[in-house]
Amino acid sequence: MPITRRDFLKASAAVAGALGISGPLLFREQEALARTGGLPIVWLQGQGCTGCSVSLLNSIYYTTIDDLLLNTVDLKFHPNLSAAAGSTAIGAAEAAYGKGGFALVVEGAIPTADLGKACYVWPGTTLLAAVKRYYLRASLLMAVGTCASFGGVSAGKPNPTLAVPLKQVVGGKPVINIPGCPAHPDWVVGTIAYILKNGKAPALDAYGRPKDFFGAKVHDKCPRRSSYVGPGHHSGGRPCLTCHEAGDLSPSRIPSAALSGTGCLYPMGCKGPSTYCDCPTRRWNGAARATPGVNWCIGAGSPCIGCTQPNFPDGMSPFLSAAATTDPAAVPTGGPGVDDEGGDD
Amino acid sequence: MSTTIKLGPVTRVEGHLDIEVTVGSVGGKQQVLSAKSAGTMFRGFEMILKGRDPRDAAFYTQRICGVCPISHGMAASLALEAAFGIQAPDNGRIVRNLVLGANYIQSHILHFYHLAALDYIDTTGIIDMAPWTPRYVTTDMASGSPAKDLVNHYVLALAMRRKAHQMGAILGGRMPCSPVFVGGGETEPVTAGAIADFRALLSELRNFIDTVFIPDVQTVGQIFPEYYAVGKGCGNLLAYGVFDLDAAGTRKLLARGRLTGGQLTTVNTGQIKEYVKYSWYTATSGNRNPAAGVTTPQATKVGAYSWLKAPRYLNQPHEVGALARMWVNGDYRRGISALDRIVARTLETKKVADAMDNWLNELAVGGPVFKGARIPATATGIGLTEAPRGALGHWLQISAGKVGSYQIVTPTAWNASPKDDRGIMGPIEQALVGTPVKDVNQPVEVLRVVHSFDPCLSCAVHLAKPSGDGQKFVVHVEPAAV
Repeated sequence: MPITRRDFLKASAAVAGALGISGPLLFREQEALARTGGLPIVWLQGQGCTGCSVSLLNSIYYTTIDDLLLNTVDLKFHPNLSAAAGSTAIGAAEAAYGKGGFALVVEGAIPTADLGKACYVWPGTTLLAAVKRYYLRASLLMAVGTCASFGGVSAGKPNPTLAVPLKQVVGGKPVINIPGCPAHPDWVVGTIAYILKNGKAPALDAYGRPKDFFGAKVHDKCPRRSSYVGPGHHSGGRPCLTCHEAGDLSPSRIPSAALSGTGCLYPMGCKGPSTYCDCPTRRWNGAARATPGVNWCIGAGSPCIGCTQPNFPDGMSPFLSAAATTDPAAVPTGGPGVDDEGGDD
Repeated sequence: MSTTIKLGPVTRVEGHLDIEVTVGSVGGKQQVLSAKSAGTMFRGFEMILKGRDPRDAAFYTQRICGVCPISHGMAASLALEAAFGIQAPDNGRIVRNLVLGANYIQSHILHFYHLAALDYIDTTGIIDMAPWTPRYVTTDMASGSPAKDLVNHYVLALAMRRKAHQMGAILGGRMPCSPVFVGGGETEPVTAGAIADFRALLSELRNFIDTVFIPDVQTVGQIFPEYYAVGKGCGNLLAYGVFDLDAAGTRKLLARGRLTGGQLTTVNTGQIKEYVKYSWYTATSGNRNPAAGVTTPQATKVGAYSWLKAPRYLNQPHEVGALARMWVNGDYRRGISALDRIVARTLETKKVADAMDNWLNELAVGGPVFKGARIPATATGIGLTEAPRGALGHWLQISAGKVGSYQIVTPTAWNASPKDDRGIMGPIEQALVGTPVKDVNQPVEVLRVVHSFDPCLSCAVHLAKPSGDGQKFVVHVEPAAV
């Protein structure tokens, strides 16, 4: 893997170095001290489902969430984890804003219809207004999940609230996109580690995604690739009657046997050939540090639905049919009220 | 002389929730006089699903909520099977139950330790850093060794809920948002290795539940016994039931039923109506059963204060969740209160985890997990299940082989609902009335009651359908009304 656990430990050492801490790096969790160090993060949630935060809690490959929270980041505001509520919580976010130099992380899309009033982060403040204010004092902008990166399910056709990704409301400032529906915790933690270790963002692809994680297609590393026979040939080597009743070749037929085999899932709608991420090797929900996960979508007999791509979900639907995808560059655009120039409103 | 507290954002819930309470003195005791519960985020899932391949619903609806995606995958799969006229094979049913059960365990652990516990303990001097500071610190909070133990267990519980998801992924492919749920069954083959790996993690989790989770909740109950008399609410309970033990779903681990006006009786979803007088929808959107649901937003509506509709059963608010399930099933009937909800949720975690061990024995290695079907041109199907937070229903209509309409009534819509057309408050609102508030600047008592419901707002506020096809609507939320 391009970003290793050793990199993560070096990154945490960089934080410790900045704090003037020497000796063994990681505090024992039971003895966490009051600290003001660590990468400060203001984490805002928009139109989304919290799945990316839940997924982040599953971090294990580089390190665990408690290690991350206790020793590496300074999570100033997070709607699911913050002990504070109401004005106390708002005060914590505002204090980080006042100090500046924080990482602004947005999970979920940002509605722009009617000046963004389909999503409030706290009473009187829409997510749109909060982002347009906070990004100006952030040193790092990160979109976690496909909704924040590209609009995702929240911007699915007909996109009634004119939901847009983070990059469209931050006046052209660079945004690191960590897509996925949900985002894999390693992609988030590994990117944070890279930034802390190197003092800059990792190399990004044309869609703002770290190349280390999103540089290759699912198809490139898929263990089922040997039985792939490509578009135009439907059966993946299986006899037609495996999936269709005699005389019935209707594309709406769900094949009864095919979904649970070990062969290529392209005929079942797999979007691996047009999806970039390292799921085949990293897999999901690992048991231990530096160990790939226990399973993944294709490993569980279910076709890839292309959830890291800019055209997810519309361009990947229907998920269970081998339909052509639409323009991969198409991302939702905002309606009236979106000010791509940023500025001082 | 009363004070209004706008408690927003309510943190340590899922999604966007604002609570407003009016606090005043009754008989010399400062307490909540009235409450408003409001969801403040909106996406429009019903519009987004319309016209799509119906099979996609099992994937899309999981993105309603990343804490309980499996429940939506289950409800969608059941609705699809009802529409297709098929039943999943036993392996498919059991694997889905096991993946759902794994997420129940994850969700219930997350709720107590990471969402609720901080309301009860003072962590000053134990862990003084973000996100655990700033925070309310009140004199009634437990400090000293009970607090230190809970902080240590908070950290341990982070690992345990991670393992619950790891376990779920063995059969579920990935957690959260499992790809294996499909109408007709599921996709992961059943192997002896998967069963063994799943069981090993289940044993670890069951041990944690028995030796750490349950004792911790009992400790909180001993320190805060007054919370068995706080936060009762409407006193009505509703459960669709969950974890089907046979193909037809007639037997369930947690039964279907309701407690209405003190009487235990049966559930007929035809007796559900959703009201919108205090919700940002047109009047014609209200007074409807979900099977005939209409949702036309009207964000400038005078008097409305929430994006949630007000679901009612025979015109009465009903609470849903672990307490409702355990009560209906006869497993817990001590009482209805903030603490009863927490205790019932913990005991349910044990009940589900223990049952899962038996379900592993029922799997047939190599047996079919999926049954195919044709997508009918026209059909309807209802999928009823339970998310960790309560009763969840999907109402699907297929026309011309696509989704014609898709209505979803979620547990938090029941619990966090606003007032209905008769002016009757929703369960959380009712539960807050009478709650003592010692310090209006640190209304932790309000948080304790709200958190006891384990609210999940992404689920509750997702409904929208314009009155005409292709119509864009303008959402205009008045923050002052929240």
